[in-house]
Amino acid sequence: MRINPVMEKELKVKMRGWKAPALITSYLGFLGLVVWMVFVSNNYLSRYYAPSFNPRVALSAYNVLAILQFCLLMFIIPPMTGGAVSGERERQTLDLLLCTNFHPLSIVLGKMSATVAHAMLLITASLPIMGTVFLFGGIRLRDLLLLMAFYLVTALFVASMGIFYSTVFRRSTVAIIMSYLTLGALSVGTFVFMAMYYVFRHSLYGTQFTYGEVMLFLTPNPIYAFSMMLENSDMGFILLDIFFGIRRIGMAQGSGMVNIKPWAANMIFNTLAAMVFILLASWRIRIVKKPLLKKRGRL
Amino acid sequence: MLTVENLVKKYGKFKALDGLSFHIDEGHIYGFVGPNGAGKTTTIKIIAGLLKPTSGRVMVDGIDISANPRGVKSKIGYMPDFFGVYDDLKVSEYMDFYAGVYGIEKSRARKITDELLELVDLSDKRDAYVDTLSRGMKQRLCLARSLIHDPKFLILDEPASGLDPRARVEMKEILKELRSMGKTILISSHILPELSEICNSIGIIEKGRMVISGTVEEIMRKISRNRTIRIKVQGDIEPALRFLQEQPELDNVSASSDYIEADYDGNPDTLVRILRGMVKNDIPVISFSEVEGNLESIFMHVTGGVAANED
Ligand SMILES: Nc1ncnc2c1ncn2[C@@H]1O[C@H](COP(=O)(O)OP(=O)(O)OP(=O)(O)O)[C@@H](O)[C@H]1O
Ligand SMILES: [Mg+2]
Repeated sequence: MRINPVMEKELKVKMRGWKAPALITSYLGFLGLVVWMVFVSNNYLSRYYAPSFNPRVALSAYNVLAILQFCLLMFIIPPMTGGAVSGERERQTLDLLLCTNFHPLSIVLGKMSATVAHAMLLITASLPIMGTVFLFGGIRLRDLLLLMAFYLVTALFVASMGIFYSTVFRRSTVAIIMSYLTLGALSVGTFVFMAMYYVFRHSLYGTQFTYGEVMLFLTPNPIYAFSMMLENSDMGFILLDIFFGIRRIGMAQGSGMVNIKPWAANMIFNTLAAMVFILLASWRIRIVKKPLLKKRGRL
Repeated sequence: MLTVENLVKKYGKFKALDGLSFHIDEGHIYGFVGPNGAGKTTTIKIIAGLLKPTSGRVMVDGIDISANPRGVKSKIGYMPDFFGVYDDLKVSEYMDFYAGVYGIEKSRARKITDELLELVDLSDKRDAYVDTLSRGMKQRLCLARSLIHDPKFLILDEPASGLDPRARVEMKEILKELRSMGKTILISSHILPELSEICNSIGIIEKGRMVISGTVEEIMRKISRNRTIRIKVQGDIEPALRFLQEQPELDNVSASSDYIEADYDGNPDTLVRILRGMVKNDIPVISFSEVEGNLESIFMHVTGGVAANED
């Protein structure tokens, strides 16, 4: 199989110069700092409560790292993809691609895989830092692999969404903002919807949610899925408290039912959504909306 | 090689192309001329598969573009009027990238790139970053890029725009070379003289319609009912002017400082009669010749004198 030339070129350009090393360095530096702070603060606290080393500290460091990376993923990818197509339109390079016999789908896939690869590079590079946590035990390899898979699928989803928006909007900034808004709507909006529905339903029937109903609302929610995954891996979870009330509703009613795990449902949702976004983007990329550029600013 | 039939393109209510038809023979260089806004770029983008026509048909090398767009695209090399470059790439990487896009293997791509850079005279720039190239060099690089998959048919949208006279000459040389390689080429321009040397067919488009199309000779013949002769006489031109103005076959007799021009009906017998008459009347004729109809005057003639200024 031939390497996708768009991906190859994107990666080449991305990795060239000082930007990529600078990004990795600051990313790792930041994560390292966080781990160090977690250990120090925990040590400081445990001096009073538990004189001996507490593996829970390592666990919470792992969780903090996992959450941090997850957030970074969602923050970093929209700007990386926002200009994928609109940028080419602005720079008048898109027509040169579209006039070739290269399939639009391959253009989209090339751009997406370059972005995902870059994001996963950051995460892979941080594995040694995650590894420090192994030193103290408490984390299974299975959990780590699951975490990586979850990151990968989320990255695919966010990247394909970013590229889709980039085909829709002329301006890269608009595409980036739309990605953030969508992620915000998925993370917070779904909770709000569910809460509203809950109030409505409770006043009407006085019954509580079933597990299925919770999943109906929260399947697309990346934060919920991620938090459930961490908990599922027998890890203490910090965010849990934040959404405690609503989560409890789901758990209370779901007892006894064997259902798909929230993180698994979310991964399936993201995969399907990514495929839809990719197809839409490769259709949208061919559509010329505004008048042909008129004079000036050539080249 | 190219057949365009009844092409219509509407932007909303505005008809940019209004039943455009023309034909280009294999191996021909076709000059596609028209004033600003005539619809040249629109036509070209449709042929290049970047725009969908509202109606009409485009056939490239026997393939209908709507039936097999990708098959057609692999036969076409397209150079847009405005284009950009990826600024973080070197010239050779730029070429490699497009070679990859066309599915050309790396080793072959390298060889093709070398040849093409040689053709457009950019061999010494192969390791330069693309954005450090001058305008003319970028234009040539874009031409090389459009040739990377060895297309039979080249479409160049105003390849000479924004180039200085020297670069225009260089571009012309390259095009001549491509002609000798047997490529069919469509070149658009809104000024004719720059095409007159290299084209063997032209089409003049105005307001989305083809005004006239065919080989240069055909067109010359079609519109040469008004041909012009230029006469030079020794000494005073007044007697000659008077004589010529009396001739019923001549029109628009006008004198400039050292010659007289007049339109005639295109019949050679007329010329013989006029010349004989002048000699008989002792008018000292030193030169009697037909003015070469150039494409510029054809253009002015056909488009009814729409200014052909650049920009
Ligand atoms: N996307 C568009 N939407 C609306 N009108 C358009 C669009 N593209 C072109 N037009 C109009 O269609 C007409 C033909 O434009 P086109 O660019 O094909 O002309 P052209 O012959 O290439 O002119 P020029 O010599 O200036 O390049 C113009 O009147 C133009 O304003
Ligand atoms: Mg044009």
